[in-house]
Amino acid sequence: MKLNNKIGYLLILPAMIFVMIFSLWPVFQSATYSLFDYQLNDQTKSRLSISNQYNLELFQETNRYLNFYLDSEKETATLEQSKEKIDALLQKINAYETDILSNYGEEKVVKISEDEKNDLEAFAQTVIQSINEIYALNDEGFAIEEDVLAVTGGYDSSMIKPNFIGLNNYKQALKDTRVRTALLNTLVFTFFSISLELVFGILLALIMNKAMFGRGLIRSLSLIPWAIPTVVSALIWLYLYNGSSGVVAMIFSKIGLISKPTDLLLTSTAAMGAVILADVWKTTPYMALLLLAGLQTIPNTVYEASAVDGAHKLQQFFRITLPMLKPSILVALLFRTLDAFRVFDLIYVLTGGGPGGKTETISIYAYKAMFAQTKFGYGSALTIIIALCVAIICYFYIKVLNVDISSRE
Amino acid sequence: MKKLMTNKNLTKAFSIFIIFYLIVIVFPFIWVLVTSFKPESEIWGKSALKLISENPTLDHYRALAQNNVLRGIKNSFIVASLTTIYVTVISIFAGYALARLQFRGKNFVLTLVLAVSMFPQMIVVGPIYNMFNELGWTNSYNIIFPYSMISLPVAIYILVTHFKKIPFTLEESAKIDGATPMQTLLKIVTPLALPGIFTSAIITFIGVWNEYVLSLTLNTDLSFHTAPVAISFLRGQFEIFWGQVTAAAVVVTIPTLIIVLLFQRQIISGLTSGALKE
Repeated sequence: MKLNNKIGYLLILPAMIFVMIFSLWPVFQSATYSLFDYQLNDQTKSRLSISNQYNLELFQETNRYLNFYLDSEKETATLEQSKEKIDALLQKINAYETDILSNYGEEKVVKISEDEKNDLEAFAQTVIQSINEIYALNDEGFAIEEDVLAVTGGYDSSMIKPNFIGLNNYKQALKDTRVRTALLNTLVFTFFSISLELVFGILLALIMNKAMFGRGLIRSLSLIPWAIPTVVSALIWLYLYNGSSGVVAMIFSKIGLISKPTDLLLTSTAAMGAVILADVWKTTPYMALLLLAGLQTIPNTVYEASAVDGAHKLQQFFRITLPMLKPSILVALLFRTLDAFRVFDLIYVLTGGGPGGKTETISIYAYKAMFAQTKFGYGSALTIIIALCVAIICYFYIKVLNVDISSRE
Repeated sequence: MKKLMTNKNLTKAFSIFIIFYLIVIVFPFIWVLVTSFKPESEIWGKSALKLISENPTLDHYRALAQNNVLRGIKNSFIVASLTTIYVTVISIFAGYALARLQFRGKNFVLTLVLAVSMFPQMIVVGPIYNMFNELGWTNSYNIIFPYSMISLPVAIYILVTHFKKIPFTLEESAKIDGATPMQTLLKIVTPLALPGIFTSAIITFIGVWNEYVLSLTLNTDLSFHTAPVAISFLRGQFEIFWGQVTAAAVVVTIPTLIIVLLFQRQIISGLTSGALKE
């Protein structure tokens, strides 16, 4: 067939631009962040730097305060010698500042070379030395020695050391027990949700396929849990689960699953079970609808032929239905496994990861690391770990189980 | 005769299972609906388990106007509609190219789109947050642009599936009559693919309507909260007013309910075209 390169590229261009800017670029950014000790709330770590940088704004501020304090010391000073020394020092500082600023212009934070770094450090040293000399005069009029010395700390803070730390975030993550717990929680949640959804989903699909009354109604009702925002279903279940007025919590304690209603969200196993149950409620109908569509592609004649040969229902299910449904099952499982592994909304709203981190999944930890602790570098490393796990899951399904998701001819 | 009996029993068992299933699905909604009309005093304690309220009240629904949920619904509606429009338009172009045209790198693009749909969303949240802060885009409707990540791949896949179903002959005769590929797409294929386009639009709309993390992170200002964020903020630190929460849940569920009842067929077709081999 004829190649339509030009028109083809033109048509996919808008979509590709969006994918580049809002999907691929952020992924590369996250990968980059993960190599830095990048913390939004820490002034010296709030940007990525491989080289040394200098905070000119802080430098100027430091000089301003030194001018102000030393001037006031000069006014109260009694010795002529100390006044002279203060004047000399201030002149030196101001000359140096003018010199530096003329080199860099308006920027607040600038990259500096190794030589410039040494120069700036040497300058800070001489200033501190001069100040020490001034106070060595023991002038009676001096009143704020401590303040002056404290201000000189600004020179040190102006020097921003590179926060590139290579793979250290990942090393830290491997040692972090909270990561291990979160990964384990995620796996437990994924395994049990998916297994239950699959079993119930197949059962439901079989029944819906046979159902003789209200098919449309059953389908519509099945779609609702899937279609409402996860946050809303999380709140609905939070209400049903809560210890003082939740009907499900009360039922569970009546039939002995938990010893008292408040235990449901406050003990670790029960809370995980509660979260899984809420997920199963929301996604089983969706799973069933996917499998139902697969069931409907199996021609009836196959069943009729096997019935003639004397096969009974159970044999038909294991010998015909399951094998023929396998492709649909695997594709549905792949999508659901990925969704369950990335779970965030449901658990974040329902338990917030509690009690005591017992339902915290890796996505929730990554989000909290970034936005509650503002450790962007570490949080990004965690999101990259999630992406790697997702890649492994995909590889497993596609290579080991032979799921075919791309060709749809 | 014996076979007939087992079939009858099976039918009975099936019916019972179906009814049980429907109860499980519907029960939480019914319970929430009931609670939303109870005064706060009846939600706790002894009357918590009563199905019918003694003093039904609309107070919780009136409170919605003050607690930001209605504004959240408005915002969600705007954001979901805008996203649906632009995502659908660019997915029609991309979907058509991927379904019908031969060009170098096509398989790479298909793989890329599939890969993006599998990315964990959490991976883009940090960089997008920084991007929005630098551009001054936080607390605005610009959030529709990063929503391309969650909706574009799905929309493109649904449309590719649908475009492939349209018979080739029409396009070929158009080509013989001298139509350019662009004219063929706009005048012939698009009208024929309308059901598919509609399906992809609905799936996009629902996906964006339900999105939580990006909205929570980028639009922190109350006036730009979307419905899921607004309703999640009713879960206070120490106290939850279940009356308001349940009333909000009812109100947020209604648009979804309408969409599902009206477009059940399209939604199921959209869901399965992503997961079924034709």
